Amino acid sequence: MSLSSLTKDWEPMSYGFLDASAKREIRRKMLKAVAVPGCQMPYASREVPMARGWGTGGLQVSLTLVNPKTTVKVIDQGADDSVNAASIRRFLARVSGAPTTLDTLEADLIQSRHRIPEEKLRADQVLVLQVPNPEPLRPVQPNMSIARQMHADADYGRMWLQLYEQIVRSGRVMQGASYPSLVNGRHVMTPSPIPRWDVPKLHMAEHLTILSAGREKRLHAVPPFTRVEPLVFDDVPYKVEEHGELICGRSGAKGFFMNEIPQDDGTSTYEISDSDYGVKTIRQAEGAQVHLGETWYKNGELS
Amino acid sequence: MAYVATRGGERAIEQAERLFRADMGKITAERVNEIKSAMPYLIDRVMGEASLYDEDLAALALAQTGGDLYEAVLVLRAWRTTQPRLQVAAPVAQDDLFTHRRISAAFKDIPGGQVLGPTLDYSHRILATDVLNGTPFTPAAVEPSSKPAPAYQPSVAAWQAENDLVDLPKLDETHPDDIPDVTREPLLFPSKRAHTLQSLARSDTGGALALGYAAMRGYGQAHPTVNELRLAEAEVMVKHPNGTSFSAGRVKVSQAEVVSKKGEKLELGFSATLGWNEVKCISAATLDLNSKGAPKGSATEEEFYLYHTEGVESSGFCIHFKLPHYVTFQSSLDAMRDAKSKKSIHPEPAE
Repeated sequence: MSLSSLTKDWEPMSYGFLDASAKREIRRKMLKAVAVPGCQMPYASREVPMARGWGTGGLQVSLTLVNPKTTVKVIDQGADDSVNAASIRRFLARVSGAPTTLDTLEADLIQSRHRIPEEKLRADQVLVLQVPNPEPLRPVQPNMSIARQMHADADYGRMWLQLYEQIVRSGRVMQGASYPSLVNGRHVMTPSPIPRWDVPKLHMAEHLTILSAGREKRLHAVPPFTRVEPLVFDDVPYKVEEHGELICGRSGAKGFFMNEIPQDDGTSTYEISDSDYGVKTIRQAEGAQVHLGETWYKNGELS
Repeated sequence: MAYVATRGGERAIEQAERLFRADMGKITAERVNEIKSAMPYLIDRVMGEASLYDEDLAALALAQTGGDLYEAVLVLRAWRTTQPRLQVAAPVAQDDLFTHRRISAAFKDIPGGQVLGPTLDYSHRILATDVLNGTPFTPAAVEPSSKPAPAYQPSVAAWQAENDLVDLPKLDETHPDDIPDVTREPLLFPSKRAHTLQSLARSDTGGALALGYAAMRGYGQAHPTVNELRLAEAEVMVKHPNGTSFSAGRVKVSQAEVVSKKGEKLELGFSATLGWNEVKCISAATLDLNSKGAPKGSATEEEFYLYHTEGVESSGFCIHFKLPHYVTFQSSLDAMRDAKSKKSIHPEPAE
């Protein structure tokens, strides 16, 4: 036995960029996060070769989970072709050698900014959501240390009050994306700035979702088959965006979350936000052999 | 396939980066060396904010990013975080610093003397425009003093403590290997003393100045007097595997100690960083001085200033707003339009 047989040759970069101690910490924090659903776990959050606020939290989780056999999909605002999604996908592939895909059904690991794909995720898939602000209490309590105590006490009164005030002032809850939701009946979390359309997809889902904020150094999780309930009053039901009747002007897909495209004549057209689902719909219409997975919404209604 | 634009996105980001780099041309070792020797204070600032002491790497980072400081610091931090921790160097006491410059505003003279050292403080800030017309600027030679200042000096606070003017903090006996490290563990509040000082040491100079200046102008409770400002070199003492202690070299460090009258005693604020950066040390020490008892959410409260002077985080978040946000925007539009249509059905009664 010699020293060289026990050690690895020097390499300029660790596998998957992060060194083993960073990955170990993230694995431990992910396990804790799974054990206490919706509870924010502080972590060191190493710098990665991307600017803070550009998906560094999601990236650290993906870099920790990835191996050469993981098929990776990266989306930003629903689109695979968004420039930052392209950048992250290229980086993940470059440092891990993992194959990449655009097809939700083929992916093992999906890193996403602000969308959950329209096709149902399976138990063998992991969704990593990038999180700009992990603290749902931020609008009512900007100090993180106090908010942490409020979570410990399940002190969500001000959160409810804020929702109530919105209803009194505007006739409805004005929260757009990042709708605060109660996880497993205990912790209020932000689901990250996914639209309200996507929040019900997390409820009792088959897949694991890890939400990670690199700049704010917190991660939380929604394990499979966990309750995720948007905060609503008994007499004011939760309302997703009114996109159920909209039709994609390019693919003809109907009943999914759409991007509004303003037109010169003052009107708007719509394009499906989940770009790969749109591509598959077009290819199917052209007669190609395409597998469209089961979707969470059918005919614009949650099924 | 009319819809697929994936390759387009990848091509676009690649070409955009090329466009940026095309302006700067080839990066050579000569260029890196020139940056290193021509701009030592810029190098120091970058090394301090990156919390990585390596002049060559700092110069390389500046060359590679065209001098965009936030980018340079990020490149260095991302490199730094992947490096193995071989050892923690021995603690350095103030008396052990090889001191180049050391001044106190609190006394006319101090034990060990006021040592001006290298500074632009008393220079007339006039642009040497002749250089552009072909006349190089050659600095006049330094005439050494007949009696050189002592290289090692006691701290001013030590004298004040002897005279019962200040209570020095208790000596921290933590074993160097057990000192909490803010780069390897999360920052939580109330923060550990080590985390506070480490965060200030790697804080953004401009950020520390902005909040420190606010405290100096009157948004803090304590007015700082610079008790001692020191530019020095610290010996990096490490242990050889065979047990002998040796110096791995010297690093430039700066430190500021500011005081304020509190009752019958002086209160201390402290900050130190890698490299020579006086503005940052005085600002950060002022924040430290004002921190105790500051109301939660005020600019001199530790959670507020430690989060908001973190340059990599603040600059990254600022520029992230360039990313598309159309999904969140669409979601907000939907709520706004719905609220508006509800209003038009049920107009508010006239008052």
